[in-house]
Amino acid sequence: MLSFFRYTLRETGTNLWRNRLMTIAAILTVTVSLFLVGAALMLKQSASQASSHWQQGTRVTIWMKPTASQAEVSAVDSQLRTLPFVKSCTFYTQQQDYEEARKLLPQSEFSVLQPSDMPSSFRCTPTAPNNVFVVETSFTGQPGVLTVTAPEQQVRQMEKVIRIAQWVFVGLAGILLISATVLILNTIRMAIFARRREVAVMKLVGATNWFIRIPFISEGFFQGLIGSGLAVGFLAVFQTWYPLPVLFRLSTTAFIGSASVVAILGVSIGSIGSALAIRRFLDV
Amino acid sequence: MIRFEDVSKTYPNGTVALKNLSVEISKGDFVFLVGSSGSGKTSFLRLVLREELPDSGAIHVSGKDVLKMPKWRVPYLRRNIGCVFQDFRLLPNKTVFENVAFALEVIGRPTETIKNQVTQVLDVVGLADKADNLPSELSGGEQQRVAVARAFVNRPILLLADEPTGNLDPANSEIIMQLLERINKAGTTVVMATHDKGLVDRMRKRVIEMVDGELVRDESRGLYDTEVSTGF
Ligand SMILES: Nc1ncnc2c1ncn2[C@@H]1O[C@H](COP(=O)(O)OP(=O)(O)OP(=O)(O)O)[C@@H](O)[C@H]1O
Ligand SMILES: [Mg+2]
Repeated sequence: MLSFFRYTLRETGTNLWRNRLMTIAAILTVTVSLFLVGAALMLKQSASQASSHWQQGTRVTIWMKPTASQAEVSAVDSQLRTLPFVKSCTFYTQQQDYEEARKLLPQSEFSVLQPSDMPSSFRCTPTAPNNVFVVETSFTGQPGVLTVTAPEQQVRQMEKVIRIAQWVFVGLAGILLISATVLILNTIRMAIFARRREVAVMKLVGATNWFIRIPFISEGFFQGLIGSGLAVGFLAVFQTWYPLPVLFRLSTTAFIGSASVVAILGVSIGSIGSALAIRRFLDV
Repeated sequence: MIRFEDVSKTYPNGTVALKNLSVEISKGDFVFLVGSSGSGKTSFLRLVLREELPDSGAIHVSGKDVLKMPKWRVPYLRRNIGCVFQDFRLLPNKTVFENVAFALEVIGRPTETIKNQVTQVLDVVGLADKADNLPSELSGGEQQRVAVARAFVNRPILLLADEPTGNLDPANSEIIMQLLERINKAGTTVVMATHDKGLVDRMRKRVIEMVDGELVRDESRGLYDTEVSTGF
């Protein structure tokens, strides 16, 4: 059993090396396709994470300049009360916004802030989602108003972009996954051809079918495994270095979830590619 | 050891290779299989190995019904059968030792056993000093001895040889023949398809002759050709 294990590893290594150009092409295709799959998964995860955060959140926020006078704040306040399409509003003081920023911003960015740098804000819920824009236009540029934002709208917008990107990724990844499977199939076919003499002798001296097949399957398996390993590596780099807004950043657990799907897909296409090659080209 | 009962074999392209062949070869026999080219000798050996299946009839090899044998059992059947061919069929990128060891390795024998048995069998065929050479560094006769060593290293109960001397000069043919005889003396049944008239006539072993897939002669101490009767 141990000697079979060693035999399989040795044969796999020899085959991978003998076919190294094809092997590299297959592995890189696996890597690129799985990177896309992983990116799509991560986008989906982070989008749902972000939108659940905003589910019961404010729909439109009027940010007051940190320097706004009491009179300017009261003016906005009374105006908001008279507007028919604003259902309710909550006022956040500078201190409250400062506390919230502590939760949302990375430590490095937060540490330079003072409560007095923070804007105070009105968090309002309009009667209908579209009224967000009416609020936006009526208050933008008013004295004391810094800016008017509609985070949920932004998230919606971003979600839409993400959803499209996700489908583009999935589509591309699907095509590439098929190519990767075919490339793996082809490397195994070449390995079978290169080893036809060995295979003939093995059959003659009574090697079992699985003994003959397993080194080839293991070759495809390793191609898929290496390809998905590289893809997970690139995803980790991407996840760490790409400046995504905090809300969209994945937790380690969520990342591991995506990475496992990628790894499982990788070894599956490797094994499927070689299984197909064996069915088709290895006559045992 | 081998029993064919009324076996017929037609290849998918319509060529008839064997016609109603019945023959029995006992344990310990040494048999020459003769007949002109295309008479079905190789087909017979392939049926014994279950590389082909017959259209009708029954085949028993070492007491087992080859036709009823499930596919996964076939490798275990072949572990009891050694094979030697005209073209040696050695692996060019493996040394003599590795070629012989390969036969044991792929049936999962432990490394220690492999080492002992290979060393021993290379001694038997007189190639201990060439163990680390590649086949391309050997003469044809030596290569065929490696092939015999590989066929015999697992101590098969049956050895099939398809024109093993076909590519060799008389001296080397003689060496191979002596090896096969020695293997036979050690208890292995040997079936050898051959066109080597001189060899068959000298050995006076059992001769089975085939013509167009039919058995036409089976003599216990036969010659290559039918003896012309010279009267009483
Ligand atoms: N795989 C095959 N497909 C179709 N026909 C075949 C096949 N193998 C052999 N034959 C045919 O079957 C017949 C018997 O062939 P076989 O190889 O058994 O003859 P043989 O006695 O071994 O001949 P030789 O002495 O030339 O080796 C021949 O007519 C041959 O052409
Ligand atoms: Mg033949």
